[in-house]
Amino acid sequence: MQRRSRLLLGVSLALIIGSALPARASQTVWSGLVIANNVAQPEAIPPELNRFEGTLKELFGYNQFKVIGQSRKTLVTGSEDWLASSKYFSLHVDSKGGTDAGYLLNLKLFQEKNLLLETETKLSKASPLVIKGPLVGDGQLLLLLVVQ
Amino acid sequence: MKMFEEKWTAWLDDELTGDELVEFEASLPDKAAAEAEKRDAHKLGAFLKEQLQGRAMGNEEFFHHQLREKIERDARAGVAGGKADSPRAWWPIGRLVWVGATSLAIFCICTFFVMREKGPTDQSQYLSQILNARVDPVVSPNATISMFESKKDRVTVLWVDGLQSLPSEYATK
Repeated sequence: MQRRSRLLLGVSLALIIGSALPARASQTVWSGLVIANNVAQPEAIPPELNRFEGTLKELFGYNQFKVIGQSRKTLVTGSEDWLASSKYFSLHVDSKGGTDAGYLLNLKLFQEKNLLLETETKLSKASPLVIKGPLVGDGQLLLLLVVQ
Repeated sequence: MKMFEEKWTAWLDDELTGDELVEFEASLPDKAAAEAEKRDAHKLGAFLKEQLQGRAMGNEEFFHHQLREKIERDARAGVAGGKADSPRAWWPIGRLVWVGATSLAIFCICTFFVMREKGPTDQSQYLSQILNARVDPVVSPNATISMFESKKDRVTVLWVDGLQSLPSEYATK
Protein backbone atom coordinates (compact mmCIF):
# COMPACT_ATOMS: atom_id res chain seq x y z
CA MET A 1 0.00 0.00 0.00
CA GLN A 2 2.80 2.35 0.96
CA ARG A 3 4.64 1.67 -2.28
CA ARG A 4 1.51 2.25 -4.35
CA SER A 5 0.88 5.58 -2.61
CA ARG A 6 4.42 6.73 -3.32
CA LEU A 7 4.13 5.65 -6.95
CA LEU A 8 0.88 7.59 -7.35
CA LEU A 9 2.39 10.66 -5.72
CA GLY A 10 5.42 10.42 -8.01
CA VAL A 11 3.29 10.17 -11.14
CA SER A 12 1.19 13.15 -10.01
CA LEU A 13 4.33 15.21 -9.41
CA ALA A 14 5.73 14.28 -12.81
CA LEU A 15 2.47 15.30 -14.50
CA ILE A 16 2.30 18.61 -12.66
CA ILE A 17 5.92 19.52 -13.38
CA GLY A 18 5.66 18.24 -16.96
CA SER A 19 2.66 20.44 -17.65
CA ALA A 20 4.26 23.45 -15.97
CA LEU A 21 7.53 23.33 -17.91
CA PRO A 22 7.01 23.55 -21.66
CA ALA A 23 9.34 21.73 -24.01
CA ARG A 24 11.73 23.85 -26.04
CA ALA A 25 12.34 22.79 -29.63
CA SER A 26 15.04 24.02 -31.98
CA GLN A 27 13.95 26.73 -34.42
CA THR A 28 15.28 28.38 -37.54
CA VAL A 29 16.04 32.06 -37.87
CA TRP A 30 16.09 33.51 -41.37
CA SER A 31 18.28 36.60 -41.74
CA GLY A 32 18.20 38.57 -44.98
CA LEU A 33 19.80 41.57 -46.64
CA VAL A 34 17.13 43.00 -48.91
CA ILE A 35 17.26 45.82 -51.45
CA ALA A 36 13.91 47.56 -51.80
CA ASN A 37 13.25 49.80 -54.80
CA ASN A 38 10.62 50.82 -57.30
CA VAL A 39 10.65 49.27 -60.75
CA ALA A 40 8.18 49.05 -63.62
CA GLN A 41 8.10 45.24 -63.56
CA PRO A 42 8.66 44.13 -59.94
CA GLU A 43 9.87 40.62 -59.31
CA ALA A 44 7.88 38.29 -57.04
CA ILE A 45 8.55 38.90 -53.38
CA PRO A 46 10.77 36.26 -51.72
CA PRO A 47 8.73 33.61 -49.86
CA GLU A 48 10.29 34.58 -46.52
CA LEU A 49 8.67 38.03 -46.82
CA ASN A 50 5.29 36.88 -48.07
CA ARG A 51 3.55 37.09 -44.76
CA PHE A 52 4.28 40.80 -44.23
CA GLU A 53 4.57 42.01 -47.82
CA GLY A 54 1.77 44.52 -47.31
CA THR A 55 3.42 46.05 -44.25
CA LEU A 56 6.79 46.37 -46.04
CA LYS A 57 5.25 48.10 -49.05
CA GLU A 58 3.22 50.39 -46.81
CA LEU A 59 6.13 51.32 -44.55
CA PHE A 60 8.83 51.88 -47.16
CA GLY A 61 6.85 52.71 -50.30
CA TYR A 62 8.72 50.34 -52.63
CA ASN A 63 7.23 47.72 -54.91
CA GLN A 64 10.15 45.32 -55.25
CA PHE A 65 12.08 43.51 -52.52
CA LYS A 66 15.11 41.58 -53.65
CA VAL A 67 17.28 39.40 -51.42
CA ILE A 68 20.99 40.10 -51.96
CA GLY A 69 22.25 38.02 -49.05
CA GLN A 70 20.71 35.61 -46.58
CA SER A 71 21.33 32.98 -43.97
CA ARG A 72 19.11 30.33 -42.46
CA LYS A 73 20.33 29.22 -39.04
CA THR A 74 18.81 26.47 -36.94
CA LEU A 75 19.29 27.33 -33.29
CA VAL A 76 19.85 24.39 -31.01
CA THR A 77 21.28 25.88 -27.84
CA GLY A 78 20.14 29.45 -28.55
CA SER A 79 23.71 30.69 -28.15
CA GLU A 80 25.07 30.64 -31.68
CA ASP A 81 26.29 33.21 -34.19
CA TRP A 82 26.15 33.43 -37.94
CA LEU A 83 26.63 35.77 -40.89
CA ALA A 84 24.37 36.83 -43.74
CA SER A 85 26.36 38.61 -46.40
CA SER A 86 26.26 40.12 -49.87
CA LYS A 87 29.15 41.45 -51.92
CA TYR A 88 29.51 44.68 -49.89
CA PHE A 89 27.37 44.18 -46.80
CA SER A 90 27.38 41.64 -44.05
CA LEU A 91 25.10 41.15 -41.09
CA HIS A 92 26.66 39.43 -38.12
CA VAL A 93 24.12 37.91 -35.73
CA ASP A 94 25.17 36.73 -32.29
CA SER A 95 22.47 34.95 -30.33
CA LYS A 96 23.00 35.35 -26.59
CA GLY A 97 20.38 32.84 -25.54
CA GLY A 98 16.83 31.75 -26.07
CA THR A 99 13.69 31.83 -23.96
CA ASP A 100 10.17 30.68 -24.65
CA ALA A 101 9.45 34.16 -25.98
CA GLY A 102 12.33 34.31 -28.47
CA TYR A 103 16.03 35.07 -28.74
CA LEU A 104 18.28 37.81 -27.47
CA LEU A 105 20.39 38.92 -30.44
CA ASN A 106 23.29 41.25 -31.02
CA LEU A 107 23.27 42.51 -34.62
CA LYS A 108 26.10 44.23 -36.45
CA LEU A 109 25.79 45.60 -39.96
CA PHE A 110 29.07 45.99 -41.79
CA GLN A 111 29.74 47.75 -45.09
CA GLU A 112 32.81 45.82 -46.07
CA LYS A 113 34.91 46.32 -42.90
CA ASN A 114 33.10 49.40 -41.58
CA LEU A 115 30.59 48.93 -38.80
CA LEU A 116 27.52 50.93 -39.82
CA LEU A 117 25.04 49.89 -37.15
CA GLU A 118 24.88 47.81 -33.98
CA THR A 119 21.79 46.86 -32.04
CA GLU A 120 20.59 44.56 -29.28
CA THR A 121 17.18 43.03 -29.87
CA LYS A 122 14.78 40.48 -28.53
CA LEU A 123 13.53 38.61 -31.54
CA SER A 124 10.12 37.14 -30.88
CA LYS A 125 8.98 33.98 -32.60
CA ALA A 126 5.75 35.62 -33.64
CA SER A 127 7.17 38.98 -34.70
CA PRO A 128 9.62 39.71 -37.55
CA LEU A 129 12.27 42.39 -37.17
CA VAL A 130 12.95 44.94 -39.91
CA ILE A 131 15.86 47.39 -39.87
CA LYS A 132 16.06 50.27 -42.27
CA GLY A 133 19.63 50.58 -43.54
CA PRO A 134 21.35 53.07 -45.83
CA LEU A 135 20.06 54.28 -49.19
CA VAL A 136 21.66 52.32 -52.00
CA GLY A 137 21.32 53.83 -55.48
CA ASP A 138 17.61 54.42 -56.06
CA GLY A 139 16.64 51.95 -53.38
CA GLN A 140 17.03 51.10 -49.74
CA LEU A 141 18.89 48.39 -47.85
CA LEU A 142 16.69 46.54 -45.37
CA LEU A 143 17.73 43.94 -42.83
CA LEU A 144 15.15 41.34 -41.91
CA LEU A 145 15.08 38.64 -39.25
CA VAL A 146 12.29 36.09 -39.02
CA VAL A 147 11.89 33.09 -36.74
CA GLN A 148 10.48 30.28 -38.86
CA MET B 1 -12.77 -34.21 60.16
CA LYS B 2 -13.83 -35.23 56.62
CA MET B 3 -17.44 -35.07 55.56
CA PHE B 4 -19.17 -38.14 54.16
CA GLU B 5 -19.08 -36.81 50.61
CA GLU B 6 -15.34 -36.26 50.83
CA LYS B 7 -14.80 -39.77 52.15
CA TRP B 8 -17.12 -41.16 49.47
CA THR B 9 -15.15 -39.44 46.72
CA ALA B 10 -11.86 -40.60 48.20
CA TRP B 11 -13.23 -44.14 48.50
CA LEU B 12 -14.31 -44.10 44.85
CA ASP B 13 -10.81 -43.02 43.91
CA ASP B 14 -9.26 -45.73 46.13
CA GLU B 15 -7.60 -43.14 48.23
CA LEU B 16 -8.87 -44.32 51.63
CA THR B 17 -6.52 -46.62 53.53
CA GLY B 18 -6.14 -48.28 56.94
CA ASP B 19 -8.58 -47.59 59.70
CA GLU B 20 -10.26 -44.85 57.75
CA LEU B 21 -11.14 -47.34 54.96
CA VAL B 22 -12.42 -49.90 57.47
CA GLU B 23 -14.51 -47.32 59.25
CA PHE B 24 -15.99 -45.90 56.05
CA GLU B 25 -16.91 -49.33 54.60
CA ALA B 26 -18.51 -50.26 57.91
CA SER B 27 -20.61 -47.12 57.77
CA LEU B 28 -22.01 -47.91 54.32
CA PRO B 29 -25.63 -49.07 54.53
CA ASP B 30 -25.40 -51.27 51.40
CA LYS B 31 -21.83 -52.19 50.61
CA ALA B 32 -22.73 -54.22 47.48
CA ALA B 33 -24.56 -51.29 45.91
CA ALA B 34 -21.66 -49.01 46.81
CA GLU B 35 -19.15 -51.39 45.18
CA ALA B 36 -21.34 -51.50 42.05
CA GLU B 37 -21.41 -47.73 41.98
CA LYS B 38 -17.62 -47.62 42.42
CA ARG B 39 -17.14 -49.91 39.43
CA ASP B 40 -19.48 -47.78 37.31
CA ALA B 41 -17.55 -44.67 38.31
CA HIS B 42 -14.24 -46.32 37.30
CA LYS B 43 -15.73 -47.40 33.97
CA LEU B 44 -17.04 -43.88 33.30
CA GLY B 45 -13.66 -42.38 34.17
CA ALA B 46 -11.84 -44.74 31.83
CA PHE B 47 -14.33 -44.01 29.05
CA LEU B 48 -14.01 -40.24 29.43
CA LYS B 49 -10.21 -40.42 29.47
CA GLU B 50 -10.29 -42.37 26.28
CA GLN B 51 -12.80 -40.12 24.48
CA LEU B 52 -11.61 -36.71 25.62
CA GLN B 53 -8.01 -37.08 24.45
CA GLY B 54 -6.96 -34.55 21.70
CA ARG B 55 -7.43 -35.81 18.16
CA ALA B 56 -4.27 -36.05 16.13
CA MET B 57 -4.32 -33.62 13.14
CA GLY B 58 -3.66 -35.08 9.73
CA ASN B 59 -2.25 -31.81 8.26
CA GLU B 60 -0.63 -30.33 11.30
CA GLU B 61 2.26 -28.71 9.41
CA PHE B 62 -0.06 -26.84 7.07
CA PHE B 63 -1.95 -25.21 9.93
CA HIS B 64 1.27 -24.34 11.72
CA HIS B 65 2.55 -22.67 8.58
CA GLN B 66 -0.68 -20.70 8.14
CA LEU B 67 -0.61 -19.56 11.74
CA ARG B 68 3.03 -18.45 11.55
CA GLU B 69 2.36 -16.43 8.40
CA LYS B 70 -0.65 -14.74 9.97
CA ILE B 71 1.37 -13.82 13.06
CA GLU B 72 4.17 -12.39 10.93
CA ARG B 73 1.75 -10.36 8.81
CA ASP B 74 0.09 -8.92 11.88
CA ALA B 75 3.45 -8.09 13.40
CA ARG B 76 4.58 -6.27 10.21
CA ALA B 77 1.33 -4.33 9.94
CA GLY B 78 1.62 -3.39 13.60
CA VAL B 79 5.13 -2.02 13.10
CA ALA B 80 4.29 -0.16 9.88
CA GLY B 81 1.01 1.41 10.80
CA GLY B 82 0.78 1.06 14.52
CA LYS B 83 -2.79 -0.16 14.13
CA ALA B 84 -2.57 -3.87 13.64
CA ASP B 85 -5.93 -4.49 15.18
CA SER B 86 -8.02 -2.45 12.68
CA PRO B 87 -8.25 -3.02 8.91
CA ARG B 88 -6.65 -0.07 6.97
CA ALA B 89 -8.46 1.60 4.12
CA TRP B 90 -6.19 2.41 1.14
CA TRP B 91 -7.14 6.12 0.87
CA PRO B 92 -8.62 7.26 4.15
CA ILE B 93 -10.03 10.79 4.17
CA GLY B 94 -7.08 12.18 6.11
CA ARG B 95 -4.53 10.94 3.62
CA LEU B 96 -6.65 12.09 0.67
CA VAL B 97 -6.79 15.61 2.10
CA TRP B 98 -3.06 15.58 2.78
CA VAL B 99 -2.18 14.45 -0.75
CA GLY B 100 -4.58 17.00 -2.26
CA ALA B 101 -3.07 19.84 -0.25
CA THR B 102 0.47 18.76 -1.16
CA SER B 103 -0.36 18.55 -4.87
CA LEU B 104 -1.98 21.98 -4.76
CA ALA B 105 1.06 23.45 -3.02
CA ILE B 106 3.43 21.95 -5.59
CA PHE B 107 1.26 23.23 -8.43
CA CYS B 108 1.25 26.73 -6.91
CA ILE B 109 5.05 26.69 -6.53
CA CYS B 110 5.56 25.57 -10.15
CA THR B 111 3.05 28.16 -11.40
CA PHE B 112 4.81 30.88 -9.42
CA PHE B 113 8.18 30.08 -10.98
CA VAL B 114 6.77 29.78 -14.51
CA MET B 115 4.82 33.04 -14.22
CA ARG B 116 7.82 34.82 -12.72
CA GLU B 117 9.96 33.67 -15.63
CA LYS B 118 7.47 34.87 -18.23
CA GLY B 119 6.27 38.02 -16.49
CA PRO B 120 2.70 39.15 -17.08
CA THR B 121 3.75 42.54 -18.52
CA ASP B 122 6.40 41.12 -20.80
CA GLN B 123 5.39 42.10 -24.34
CA SER B 124 8.25 40.14 -25.93
CA GLN B 125 5.99 37.11 -25.88
CA TYR B 126 4.33 38.60 -28.95
CA LEU B 127 6.50 41.40 -30.30
CA SER B 128 10.19 41.72 -31.01
CA GLN B 129 11.90 44.50 -29.10
CA ILE B 130 14.81 46.80 -29.84
CA LEU B 131 16.77 47.08 -26.61
CA ASN B 132 19.34 49.55 -27.89
CA ALA B 133 20.92 50.70 -31.16
CA ARG B 134 23.90 52.85 -32.15
CA VAL B 135 25.65 54.03 -35.27
CA ASP B 136 29.22 55.21 -35.69
CA PRO B 137 29.02 59.00 -35.19
CA VAL B 138 32.18 59.47 -37.24
CA VAL B 139 30.88 57.60 -40.29
CA SER B 140 27.26 58.85 -39.97
CA PRO B 141 27.22 62.04 -37.85
CA ASN B 142 23.63 62.96 -38.78
CA ALA B 143 22.07 59.55 -38.19
CA THR B 144 18.90 59.33 -36.12
CA ILE B 145 17.36 56.19 -34.70
CA SER B 146 13.75 55.47 -33.92
CA MET B 147 11.79 52.31 -33.35
CA PHE B 148 8.16 51.33 -33.60
CA GLU B 149 5.89 48.36 -33.99
CA SER B 150 3.43 47.70 -36.74
CA LYS B 151 0.52 45.95 -35.08
CA LYS B 152 -0.84 44.73 -38.40
CA ASP B 153 1.74 41.98 -38.96
CA ARG B 154 3.45 42.34 -35.58
CA VAL B 155 6.51 43.72 -37.32
CA THR B 156 9.04 45.56 -35.19
CA VAL B 157 10.96 48.23 -37.08
CA LEU B 158 14.26 49.91 -36.32
CA TRP B 159 14.20 53.06 -38.42
CA VAL B 160 17.61 54.57 -39.06
CA ASP B 161 17.80 57.82 -41.01
CA GLY B 162 20.86 59.73 -42.05
CA LEU B 163 23.19 56.86 -42.86
CA GLN B 164 25.60 57.66 -45.66
CA SER B 165 24.05 56.93 -49.09
CA LEU B 166 25.84 54.45 -51.27
CA PRO B 167 25.99 53.99 -55.05
CA SER B 168 23.81 51.40 -56.74
CA GLU B 169 26.68 48.95 -57.24
CA TYR B 170 26.37 48.17 -53.51
CA ALA B 171 23.06 46.47 -54.29
CA THR B 172 24.75 43.51 -55.96
CA LYS B 173 24.64 40.07 -54.42
